[in-house]
Amino acid sequence: MSAMVDSDSVYAIAESVFSAMIDGDEGLLLPWEGDLPQFADPLYAWVDLLGEWQGRAALTTEAPTAHALARALLMMGDDEVVSDADLIDAFGEIANVVGGNVKALLPTQGTLGLPRVDAVLPPHEGGSLSQELRLSWRGQPIVVAVWLFG
Amino acid sequence: MIRVLVVDDSRVMRQIVIRTLRQAGYDWDVREASNGAEGLAAVQSDEPDVVLSDWNMPEMTGIEFLKSLRAAGFGTPFGFVTSEGSPQMREQAEAAGALFLIAKPFTAEGFRDVIEPVLA
Repeated sequence: MSAMVDSDSVYAIAESVFSAMIDGDEGLLLPWEGDLPQFADPLYAWVDLLGEWQGRAALTTEAPTAHALARALLMMGDDEVVSDADLIDAFGEIANVVGGNVKALLPTQGTLGLPRVDAVLPPHEGGSLSQELRLSWRGQPIVVAVWLFG
Repeated sequence: MIRVLVVDDSRVMRQIVIRTLRQAGYDWDVREASNGAEGLAAVQSDEPDVVLSDWNMPEMTGIEFLKSLRAAGFGTPFGFVTSEGSPQMREQAEAAGALFLIAKPFTAEGFRDVIEPVLA
């Protein structure tokens, strides 16, 4: 299962999402170098893939980084406060676009669940981690993970 | 001025779509709706020149929205802006009467490439 959703494809999806939606052509999403620090205040955004090929695409980052992502998406200033609604909307939409593009890699197309954002990632029964990319956005850690249950 | 209805359950994504339309040079009159049911009501009350709609939404999905529009007799030009751009989704969109499907993530250039032939 991992072969159809390889790490290069997931990285290409994440890189294109960040460059098109957040950073322009600057390419600020890079592989994380060295050991990934443990998240102190993590926030998860995920979307479930439903149908014959089931799975999940999830992003994890520190809450302040999720706020920074929301500000970047909304073209807000660095010192502007992001509302909870905009934080959930923006961070969830990044997961939604990543998940939609991961779904397109699968041999049959089911449906996409609605994006969710929470401080805890609920377990998905029977899932196995297909890919886990440890990335750096503006120097802050972001993990992009894909599980498949097909 | 062209009147567009942008339909997406994500307010952030609606903002990005509207911003991208401007970046692509389309200074259109914009209205917004947050799901297919709201979109259907908006078209029925005041039909726009074009609809840009997400696919995956609560209440009523984009494809249900499009089919409902056509069933109600509206031939409003309709395009999807969705994170799901697989060949199967594109076939389904075309079969239901969509003029185009723009896959997220998108760029202003990508918008122009898809919308210009439709305007012509």
